[in-house]
Amino acid sequence: MQRDKFFKEIENVIHPNETLVKTHCSYCGMQCGMNLRVNTKTNKIIGVEPRYDWPVTVGKMCPKGVTAYQQTNHDDRILKPLIRDDASLKGTKEGFREATWDEAYSLIAKKFGELQDKYGKDTLSVFSGVSMTNEKCYLTGKFARVALQTRYIDYNGRFCMSSAAGGFLRSFGVDRGSTLPWTDLHETDCLFIAGSNTAECHPTSMFRVWAVQERGGYLIVADPRETPIARRADVHLDLRPGTDLALANGILNLLIQNGHADAEFVNNHTNGFEETKELVKEFTPEYTSEITGVAPEKIIRAAEIYGKAPNAVVMFARGIEQQHKGVDNVSAYTNMALVTGKIGRPKSGVATFTGQGNGQGGREHGQKSDLLPGYRKITNPKHVEEVCQVWGITPEEMPQPGVSAYEMFELMEQKTIRAMYLLCSNPAVSAPNLNFVRKAMKGLDFMVCADFYLSESAEFADVILPTVTWSEDEGTVTNLEGRIIKINKAQEPLGESKPDWQIQAELAEYLGRGKYFSHLKTARDVADEFRLASKGGYADYYGATWDKIDKQDGVFWPCKDEKDEGTPHMFLDKKFYHPDGKAKICALPYRPPAEEPCEEYPLRLTTGRVVYHYLSGNQTRRIQFLRDMCPEPYVEVHPVTAAKYNIEHEEYVRLFTRRGEAEYKVKITEAIRKDTVFVPYHFGHDKSINLLTIAALDPMSRMPEFKACAAQIEKLELKKVQ
Amino acid sequence: MKKRLYLELENCIGCRSCLAACTQCGGHEERNRNYVYDVNPLVNRQTMPLMCLHCVNPACARSCPAQAIQIHETGAVLSALVEKCIGCQNCTIACPYGIPKFDTEQNLMYKCDLCIDRTKDGIPPMCASVCPSNTLQWLTDEEIEAKQKQFNLDNGKWVTSMPYLEGETNVRVNLPGILQGVTKLF
Ligand code: SF4
Ligand code: SF4
Ligand code: SF4
Ligand code: SF4
Repeated sequence: MQRDKFFKEIENVIHPNETLVKTHCSYCGMQCGMNLRVNTKTNKIIGVEPRYDWPVTVGKMCPKGVTAYQQTNHDDRILKPLIRDDASLKGTKEGFREATWDEAYSLIAKKFGELQDKYGKDTLSVFSGVSMTNEKCYLTGKFARVALQTRYIDYNGRFCMSSAAGGFLRSFGVDRGSTLPWTDLHETDCLFIAGSNTAECHPTSMFRVWAVQERGGYLIVADPRETPIARRADVHLDLRPGTDLALANGILNLLIQNGHADAEFVNNHTNGFEETKELVKEFTPEYTSEITGVAPEKIIRAAEIYGKAPNAVVMFARGIEQQHKGVDNVSAYTNMALVTGKIGRPKSGVATFTGQGNGQGGREHGQKSDLLPGYRKITNPKHVEEVCQVWGITPEEMPQPGVSAYEMFELMEQKTIRAMYLLCSNPAVSAPNLNFVRKAMKGLDFMVCADFYLSESAEFADVILPTVTWSEDEGTVTNLEGRIIKINKAQEPLGESKPDWQIQAELAEYLGRGKYFSHLKTARDVADEFRLASKGGYADYYGATWDKIDKQDGVFWPCKDEKDEGTPHMFLDKKFYHPDGKAKICALPYRPPAEEPCEEYPLRLTTGRVVYHYLSGNQTRRIQFLRDMCPEPYVEVHPVTAAKYNIEHEEYVRLFTRRGEAEYKVKITEAIRKDTVFVPYHFGHDKSINLLTIAALDPMSRMPEFKACAAQIEKLELKKVQ
Repeated sequence: MKKRLYLELENCIGCRSCLAACTQCGGHEERNRNYVYDVNPLVNRQTMPLMCLHCVNPACARSCPAQAIQIHETGAVLSALVEKCIGCQNCTIACPYGIPKFDTEQNLMYKCDLCIDRTKDGIPPMCASVCPSNTLQWLTDEEIEAKQKQFNLDNGKWVTSMPYLEGETNVRVNLPGILQGVTKLF
């Protein structure tokens, strides 16, 4: 269906005594196709072979993907349930002993029961993630609300995709990460990419990005750093961290002034134009430049190119979303497409680069504090009714909405929440303001962690349940296009490890809630119930059967029934999902970052990823090749700034903010603003940059402002002498 | 149809997936045989791969006193034969790019064999299969010719195999700067 000029028929190499299992990468939202090489004698995964026939990535993989298979039979795998009896050892790796599943389940049921008897049902919490299948994400929501009967469930998408979700819901009335398939990208005439280090975070998009330029199209990149993609951009908008809203308003103003607004589209298919036009008038190139630090000529040139382009795609990622105005940034950049009418047709549209493998699907099916499967709302009685029918509970039994990920730690601090069931996430590295978060985790009465490695967060647990890696289970994930794809099982679970859905179904039995889960014996059973639960919601997966996914190279949601082939392009009929069918152009006043530089903290600290590591690094830091390539974090500093502090390349310095401090090796580069320093966030313990970041939350998405806070550097005199 | 490794250096994003992939090829014993360099590390993020160019008349093989470096019928210049290599490292010195690597423990040279277990059957090498930026590609001569026409460079250095280096190479290289000849759409 979406086979394009990059697609070639290529045979795979199959070595003797080996077979290939088609699947996708375990990591980012690109979900590159790959074949796992399995030894047919040992039935173990032993390597990787490109999957040339996957239309999105045609065999390509970044180094994380190439080495992903090494996770499964890794020496660090947890093979049996672990219990720690001595709570004083919390926060360390010490004191765990092996136990049987029965002992672990019994202990969890006992502790959870005691706490709930004493403090009420809502004393329990579930902290989840979206680097796992839709089936697991779906069941985790049900597990929290039906088995644990608590309102407190949320997930790490609050640190990842929630601003994009909030912005799209406001602008379009629907949250599908991309309005068009990736196979359109190389055919557009202009890519406007804001806050995405695409070459490192979504590398396999790059051959399509470069192809736009090869055809004579344009690439515009907004980023405080000259990232590998910005290096080749036609215009690099090198803005101050946290000033995107001004930049987007400034460009929108020029688009309108220069006559690039599509009056017919605006009149027929949008609301809010006049009000927005008035608001952005103030954002002249000069004023925008004052706020953002980007030269006025660059802003003018960028607006001219985007305005003139017959087709254009606006894209963004965590750079604009991980701000306390992330939702506004998303809607502001989306305004560019809505005002010019460059949306709702092939080769034009808006997309976010979804961070986690299932960042899209995982946020749609009820792991978010206020959502139920199919993107239903827990505050909508009709929605609750629909889901209750599938779950077999009464609407009265449905818990109330909970709070967002970071706010759960605040409730732990306040002892409203006394226990946590953590899975598929490592908040002891990935949450902001870590001194506070780690203290909150340490203070819990009881904590369970389900993981396949002993993560930094697992160090706070009383019980660790060994889960499987992605290749020891099957199910679907939804990639960054909104395409539902199939992850296949390549090997039996190592040791006594089990998939999360099975653990939750079994634990439900011990919690006395078995009757709601005991019919779920296989991943496919969960899939069938999940499709039914999503049916009728606007993220409708009912028609996306595993067979259809296989036959069609994935299915784009919405896909309502057996005959529906899915929806690769959104809004082709120019119908948006708000009740009046119109999209919303949003008038968004500028707000500066929550913490602006001052005399004491004169630098802007921003954080992000490197190509070799994924999220908290719990997986990738254990892979030899990736660790060799990037063994430790560093702070990127412009040479002019470095000279001011009298610090040199590869020297260690103390970096600190109002919340915390850490020591980092200096990496001097001219490819960053002079007022900004950058540290990658994949590292644990005293190397975590999130010890320093600020928990200023977006009012709508509750996304913390990872991307901008005020910091200071101090030279380590002693070390220098040594 | 004969295909060749083709490099478009301007595209490189420094992800080093080519290095990771090289460890995955059959017979590579999980050691990579290619290189990626930061072109100007303290200044910008430009990187480039350094690959064996599979010279038509390879200096590495010519310099080998033990005839350990064989040339495959496809033109691929193979890694040293284990039983013949004497570990003198002449090849590394002779190669204009210093490509052959040396295993001090085994006293043995190893180098890029163009993933011969794949390319002998026309299957792209591992590095060119995975390269996310299309810096490394596996193309037919016709496709390469089309590239040459598309990127009409003004410096006349479309191929790096300059006479004063090593003469003709089986691998084709497109130097940085390919975009300078592109006509913009609007
Ligand atoms: S991490 Fe992302 S880009 Fe890299 S191989 Fe995996 S899915 Fe592809
Ligand atoms: S895989 Fe390609 S883009 Fe990545 S470092 Fe190698 S040549 Fe460069
Ligand atoms: S590039 Fe070097 S190693 Fe490769 S064939 Fe030529 S001389 Fe030999
Ligand atoms: S062609 Fe094969 S052996 Fe040579 S560098 Fe690429 S992956 Fe390694």
